[in-house]
Amino acid sequence: MIPPRFEYAAPKSVREAVDLLKSRGGEAKVLAGGQSLIPLLKLRLAAPSLLVDINRVTGLDYIRESGGFLRVGALTRVSTLNRSALLKKRYGALHDASLTIADPLVRNLGTVGGNLSHGDPSNDLPAVLLAAGGELAATGPSGDRSVRAEDFFVGTFTTALAQDEILTEARFPVPPPRSGGVYLKVEQKVADFATAGVAVQVSLDKKSEYARVGIGLTGVGPTALKATKAEAAMVGKRATDRKAAQEAGELAADASSPTTDIRGTEEYKRGLIRLLVTRGLERASQRARRGA
Amino acid sequence: MEVTFEGEEQDPDVRFVRGTGKYVDDIKLEGMLHLHVVRSPYARARVLSVSGGITGNELKATMESVGEDAGGKSAVSFPALSASYVNYVGQPVAAVLGLDRYDAADKAEEVDVQYEPLRPVIDPEKALASEPIHPGMENNLVAAAELGKEFEVKAPIEIEETLRMTRISPNPMETKGMVAVYDGSNLTVYASTQSPFSWREGLASSLGLKEESVRVVQMDTGGGFGSKGGIYPEYVVAAYAAMKTKRPVKWSETRYENILSTNMGRGVRGKMKVYADREGKLKGLKADILVDVGAYPLGGGGWTARWIASQLVGPYSVPRAYATAKAVLTNKVNMGPYRGAGRPEAAFFMERMMDRLADETGVDAAEVRLRNATSRRTTSPLGMEAPPSKQLFMKALRAFKYSSRKKKENVGLSFFMLIPAAYGGESAKLAVKGGRVKVWMGGSSHGQRHDVFAKSLVSEELGIPQDVIDFQHTDTRSISGGVGSWGSRTAILGGGAIVEASRSLKAAAKKKLGKKYSPARLLEGEYEAEAFFKPKDLLNTLGANMASARLTKEGNAVVDEVVSFYDAGKVLNPFMLESQITGGVAQGIGEIMYEQAIYSEDGQLLTASIADTGVIHATEMPKSVVMTAASRSTLPHGAKGVGESPTIGVPPAATRALEVLLGRRFTTLPIEPEKLWATDVAGVKEVRVR
Repeated sequence: MIPPRFEYAAPKSVREAVDLLKSRGGEAKVLAGGQSLIPLLKLRLAAPSLLVDINRVTGLDYIRESGGFLRVGALTRVSTLNRSALLKKRYGALHDASLTIADPLVRNLGTVGGNLSHGDPSNDLPAVLLAAGGELAATGPSGDRSVRAEDFFVGTFTTALAQDEILTEARFPVPPPRSGGVYLKVEQKVADFATAGVAVQVSLDKKSEYARVGIGLTGVGPTALKATKAEAAMVGKRATDRKAAQEAGELAADASSPTTDIRGTEEYKRGLIRLLVTRGLERASQRARRGA
Repeated sequence: MEVTFEGEEQDPDVRFVRGTGKYVDDIKLEGMLHLHVVRSPYARARVLSVSGGITGNELKATMESVGEDAGGKSAVSFPALSASYVNYVGQPVAAVLGLDRYDAADKAEEVDVQYEPLRPVIDPEKALASEPIHPGMENNLVAAAELGKEFEVKAPIEIEETLRMTRISPNPMETKGMVAVYDGSNLTVYASTQSPFSWREGLASSLGLKEESVRVVQMDTGGGFGSKGGIYPEYVVAAYAAMKTKRPVKWSETRYENILSTNMGRGVRGKMKVYADREGKLKGLKADILVDVGAYPLGGGGWTARWIASQLVGPYSVPRAYATAKAVLTNKVNMGPYRGAGRPEAAFFMERMMDRLADETGVDAAEVRLRNATSRRTTSPLGMEAPPSKQLFMKALRAFKYSSRKKKENVGLSFFMLIPAAYGGESAKLAVKGGRVKVWMGGSSHGQRHDVFAKSLVSEELGIPQDVIDFQHTDTRSISGGVGSWGSRTAILGGGAIVEASRSLKAAAKKKLGKKYSPARLLEGEYEAEAFFKPKDLLNTLGANMASARLTKEGNAVVDEVVSFYDAGKVLNPFMLESQITGGVAQGIGEIMYEQAIYSEDGQLLTASIADTGVIHATEMPKSVVMTAASRSTLPHGAKGVGESPTIGVPPAATRALEVLLGRRFTTLPIEPEKLWATDVAGVKEVRVR
């Protein structure tokens, strides 16, 4: 890596890190796992005057359920998600997605907070958080606040985080019984960014009808997208209703706005959304019936 | 100040596995400066001014086409640094020197270049009608050839098809680089190269030096695939900078620079038409070949179009053939040799037509090929000589268990001819001293482990153990001449030269020692022998591939297995042969499903990271099964060429396997991802095959 010159600081607390960010007014960048920032520095596409390395900040690496949420600390490595038995049992979409992110080397360093706060529409975790109806916690100069996932992803590489705020936690609502989630991703080759990806989180009632449906889309818009029309259309439908799932696929495809790029044409990506949403609903409801 | 391999671990198995290889970027010399090249951000622009660093106003050098790229005098001169026009994104316009890479990259940001952007020519099919990209030229045509004779023939079956192979980045694991040292009269260059002798010729000519005053030493070299067989502007600039500053200068590019500025392979369109009877016997072949040369015809653009056309008939017999071939300039980095260099294009075009012919006539794909194979040596109407092919292909089909496998699997076949780049021959030298034998070749390993066959040949010829033999890096000062390593040539030509040099060394020892001669006594003496081996016989050889394809549980088509059956002559080392072929299978699969260079309409390269260029991982690699036909060549060691066989044979066979599986016809590589689904994911307009 041949980056431009920068200063480097390694604070020990979130408070200290926030102060450093504030002192540079937008000229500083947070370095967590570095899996997106380092490539930008390497190509000199980013030239921050200060790197605030938060890897020495303690207390941001955890996965636990409390207060109705699964709480994942922002410095939790993606590989930690890979290994979590709790995720495998109850948070299928998050578990699936964590296994599709890049390759094991990237996952060992890449963090949950970085994946969410980079604002890359091709990152996998934003769609999962949107499908789950989750929220994010951030700390800034004036204290802590939480932001709903659907308000967080503002534009490509832009989130609701202020320049002097640090993402501290991602929160996924603890699903009720008979819930299931799945993340389906089509990639050209293993470890690639998604050509398209779909996260589905469902809860079934006792009649095996959809009580709640969450659908998040990866790589088919300026940000990760929440397919709200498709979600609403599925509520009250039977889990085995194939036609309804296909219609939801159509609605989600209509809601997406992919662009033609090196991974495929706009039409192809829409086709993938159609396919993956339909499949995702079927698989998520299968997991729900099995209780995963 | 000299870089040597003295005291280094000699065994490449140990050296590379331990990470103790000695590559260009490992070289550290006192006072060494680092060169950073400033590149054009535009595909086509007039350079209004350049200030800062070394510019084309100071260094007025241009480049000659050398080595594997060589194709005679070019109609367009390729400046080392352009001071007037730039013609591709990444073209060097200036260079700066720094105390380290960081310093040099920072200094590069201070260079000011003013451009007037011009509309670039990107689509090769529109290039002939577009304004010429180089001032002073009439149009963008740089080579045109006509092969065979125009004909008319009445045939019940006539099939026309336009086929395309998209450009791809060679992506050697080690990017390009060099270190130049100048002592006031002699220039020494430590190089990552396939051919030190071509570098010497190219650098001497560009810098106006005598070849005797230029020495090129090959360092450990981490791959080339054809992209390191000639020279590049950066080499000339770095050498000049060392001469100017009288300090060692290193230039070592990043992956991004490598992808942007390294000659790319393929980028060829073939319009094919075959005429046949209802039994599938060919009555005629017509073709029109169009090669996208890029901005300067120095990477092989001068000869590739004709070369592809000349071998279209492949291993078959056809009574009449006529081909036209054109090469056109576009505002892209130069086209250059890439593993196979014209051979894969010819085979893909012809083998796709053989499959079409099978579909149109209803004759089995193997049978239609056998009906057109030959039982004797032939010269095609396009001028290429081919060995008899029918017997070998029948053997291959038996080895593939083709008839039983095609009943239960989706299989594709290819038959092809490999024409090794035997022109020019190759050299080798042996020196015995202090109980050890040093071996050099004129062109040697850039990842193939030529040391393995070299040692076994010397050991066999001289009756000495392999552990007293030291394989040397090619150095233009250690051996009197040489060519280079490419085109499936080194085992056959370099190997032949090693055998000849060994025999003359042995003869010299026998003459000196008389009846006392023994291998042990030979090792006690001091001897040297050099040989330049130029075979007279036809070295063209044959190969066949079979591939099978299946659907994943998600409904994606994948190539499951590739079986290779190649006539490699006497196999010098089975493990090395298998390794070579396995790597080539990976490149073949990459080429049909993943690898491509995509340019935007304004000439920006959109696939500018190694992930985006499409290089495959182990996860995309099919099972590879390797078999060979034991048939010694007439060379002293019996070997035949094999290095490029898999990139020639795998693409058509694997494309056909996917075609059979999915029922869609494929004419362009790589195959678009939406066409590799069993279901109609994205409204793919299908051309069903029978």
